[in-house]
Amino acid sequence: MRRRALTPYLFLAPGLALFAAFRVYPLLDGLRLSFTNARLGRAEYAFVGFANYGRLLDDTRFHVSLVNTAFYAVASTLPILAIPLALAVALNRGASLRTFLRSAFFFPFTLSVVTVGLVWLWLLDPVVGPLNYYLKALGIPVRSWLADPATAMWAIILTSVWWVTGYYLVIYLAGLQDIPRELYEAAALDGAGGWRSFWGITLPLLRPVFLFVFVTHVIGSFQIFGQVFILTQGGPGDATRTVVQHLYETAFQNFFQFGSASAMAWVLFAVILVFSLLQFRLLRGHTQY
Amino acid sequence: MVACAVLWLLPAVWVFVTSLKLTQNIVRLPPEWIPWPATLAHYVEVLFSSSRTARIGRAFLNSTIVSLGTVALVLLTAAMAAYPLARMRFPGRDLIFVLFVGSLMIPNAVVLVPQYILTERLGWLSTYQGLIVPEAAMTFAFGVFLLRQFFLTLPAELEDAARIDGAGPWRIFTRIVLPLSQPVLGALAIFAFRSAWNDFLWPLIAVNKPDMFPLPVALALLRSAYSSESYGPIMAGATLSALPLLFVFLVANRRIVEGVRVSGLKG
Amino acid sequence: MNRDRHAIDRRGFLLAAAGAAASLPVVARRASAQSKPTISYWNGLTGADGKVMDELIDQFTKDTGIHIEQQRIPWADLYAKLQVSVPAGQGPDLALIHTVEVSHFASDGVLEAIDDAASAGKGFRGDDYLPSTWQGGLYQGKRYAIPLDVPQHLLYLNVKVMKDAGQAGADGKPKVAASRDELLAMAKQITKGDIFGFSIGTVNPGKYTWGFQNLLWQNGANVYTPDFKRSALAEPAAIEVAEFWGAIQSQHKVAPPANANCRDAFIAGKLGMWIAGSWNFTGLREAKVDFTVAPVPRLFKQPVVWTMPHQFTFPKRKAADAAKRDAAWAYMRWMSDHVAEWTLKAGQVSALRKPHSDPRITSDPVLRTLLAQAPNWQGGQPTPKWVAAENLTRPVIENVYIGQKPAAAAMQDLARQINALPD
Repeated sequence: MRRRALTPYLFLAPGLALFAAFRVYPLLDGLRLSFTNARLGRAEYAFVGFANYGRLLDDTRFHVSLVNTAFYAVASTLPILAIPLALAVALNRGASLRTFLRSAFFFPFTLSVVTVGLVWLWLLDPVVGPLNYYLKALGIPVRSWLADPATAMWAIILTSVWWVTGYYLVIYLAGLQDIPRELYEAAALDGAGGWRSFWGITLPLLRPVFLFVFVTHVIGSFQIFGQVFILTQGGPGDATRTVVQHLYETAFQNFFQFGSASAMAWVLFAVILVFSLLQFRLLRGHTQY
Repeated sequence: MVACAVLWLLPAVWVFVTSLKLTQNIVRLPPEWIPWPATLAHYVEVLFSSSRTARIGRAFLNSTIVSLGTVALVLLTAAMAAYPLARMRFPGRDLIFVLFVGSLMIPNAVVLVPQYILTERLGWLSTYQGLIVPEAAMTFAFGVFLLRQFFLTLPAELEDAARIDGAGPWRIFTRIVLPLSQPVLGALAIFAFRSAWNDFLWPLIAVNKPDMFPLPVALALLRSAYSSESYGPIMAGATLSALPLLFVFLVANRRIVEGVRVSGLKG
Repeated sequence: MNRDRHAIDRRGFLLAAAGAAASLPVVARRASAQSKPTISYWNGLTGADGKVMDELIDQFTKDTGIHIEQQRIPWADLYAKLQVSVPAGQGPDLALIHTVEVSHFASDGVLEAIDDAASAGKGFRGDDYLPSTWQGGLYQGKRYAIPLDVPQHLLYLNVKVMKDAGQAGADGKPKVAASRDELLAMAKQITKGDIFGFSIGTVNPGKYTWGFQNLLWQNGANVYTPDFKRSALAEPAAIEVAEFWGAIQSQHKVAPPANANCRDAFIAGKLGMWIAGSWNFTGLREAKVDFTVAPVPRLFKQPVVWTMPHQFTFPKRKAADAAKRDAAWAYMRWMSDHVAEWTLKAGQVSALRKPHSDPRITSDPVLRTLLAQAPNWQGGQPTPKWVAAENLTRPVIENVYIGQKPAAAAMQDLARQINALPD
């Protein structure tokens, strides 16, 4: 009967409308824009074929931004995957004050990226920032972390780690709590020590959580913007320039070239897709248990 | 471990402490951890002052309206969409689900420019709906994913029993499924709230009227040519902006973890 | 059911309260609609001069009853927002911008042209103004801006730092270097530990393009050739300046790191000689720093002083509002009439000539020095691509400053990038 058949679609209607209008349509429109010379204030766009993509091949700053973004994604992965995991395992051991500790680590995640950026901008100030002051007091050589191309990106990674560790910590904790205690007890009876049960039980059973964290982090890290905008604006030189930073400047700050920016966005999308598929291929194999 | 956590919290403590320091003491070395003499002048300036830079009070209101609106829209659309995907059979079901999940991989940057053009054409720049609707669209697919997973774990007997009693799908949805889904709905609400509250890039370009800026943008615009002078107000603004989420988190701490667990992150 | 009843009562009460609260602004607005209009005013005065602007606006409102909704946005963000908001019909009624922005905003159709008759009618006459500032409001023969003041560079000398380093004269006043070599020698004497001898720029000296431009002009170089067709940054004079730019940090080591906050350093007694904007000095006085000033030293061929006058502009509106426009004119008129106060409190020399003979101004040593620099003033080239070129320059000179790239290669690359800017 017609009414019954329509029901699912009626349920889906609001969500589908939202999704179609603000996800699908912009996605496809962006692709179309990337083939035009769209610019802010220009009423009619002319079709320019692959010209925007071609210009990207010559845009050395875009190449630099791709490299920097990839560097950030790769270099930040290990700390952001490992540190929350280590903390989660420690917390799961039944540490006292678990709620307090979990809250303490999670707290930075409740802040907006702007707050995080501003506070670290201050902490890392080379002359009047507390971090350098304490490092000097401890006898550790200091430098201007955000002004040195060798360390600027690492400073940004540090900021990101501080910010999101708590979130992944909660996720890992949830995953850890689902691992049946009996497995650990059985392993202990068999004489397996802490490390062995970690490698043999914890890691394999955490694989789906791991995959989720890994993929989420990588997709997010390719889009990093807020920290760069506040801390370095892509500097020193172009050492921390990321793709979204470059895109933002191209579209909304310097040149208002919407066509070029859309081309950049699609290149980024392609890169993310490739990376995600690779990750899935790598880790998917063993999820079924 | 505890030492680790305390160290971890130090930057946040620094924010709060700095917000209470007198301007001339902010730059002082060695860093002072106790603000004495303490002052509320930065909070006053940021909330009430005639120095029109900040209008943090107004930004706070904007963020609240946008975040609550986003939560409402996300919960509504995602729950209504997830239910048929979990419980009904109809042509196109799997395709639609794959589309939703696939869209999770679309970076927001890719839709940024066309979304801006669309928002401008709709006349929605610098409006609440211009912030709420795109924000909701960003979280929608994740919400569907989360809720569908959860709905699948609900025992079907309750719904079957209701159906036998003659209840239509809408009644079953609202009277049985939704009440049972409170933990996940709560977790999703918190997630959507945080996402909308802290979003920076979209409001940065989509809002041109200064009294419509949400908190992150208002804070970012507090940066001045002379960092040390603006740090008092910036830290005060940052503290204020962190309060709601801090409150939500303290109150709903367990709920968040529950929600994350219950949503079944396995695959 | 009791619970429902309570719930309804509570809900009803909340609705009523919400309704009352929501209607308040409507009531208030209706009441104020009878009085003068409120105009929106954007500027980037985020420093100490911003507070002075606040005071003056409050006084203006007291004098005239016109309310101004001022929004301060850091300059870089301000310009981006102006560019984006005006086409969407959401720009402000009045905007204070830098002279170098006039050409590209005018050419992009962001600004409204100002009728000569209209401005003369409001009492703004070219003869009253310093010629360079009045000219700065023109683009292709049409007027788009009315000047306010002349922010410029100045050499600040920290008395304590220089005394401690033995760089003060018998009278206790810091020595003023007569040549570039002498300045570098003095800077080397001062640089010790975390104290630096010499810096150019307020924050992020590495990418302080305004300072770089000052040096370019001193050496007879510029960003564009005089016909604005190509970039002149690959020419030897410009490369020489870039080499100096890199040398002060990496070779002579007298300058602080690229992202240092020179202003904080100067106040904290960690910087001896500092070339920076005139807008800093009132803040320094408030912070009770013991300092003296001197004209910008001649580091190359000519003792050119960089300037960037502020200009009042009318961003285009979707619908013309005569009342608001009149209010904006009234504000500009009032500011110009009270510009001596602006000069005294914010430290910015006025574009109007009359206040220059005000005894309060001529008796202030800093303002006197600023006025005395007038014959050496120079400003940016009036091409719409000036700002885009400046944005490209920033990371390049930063790279040179930190020694990441050699000066010649960097300048050639920059010239290439600038030449590739789309129209």
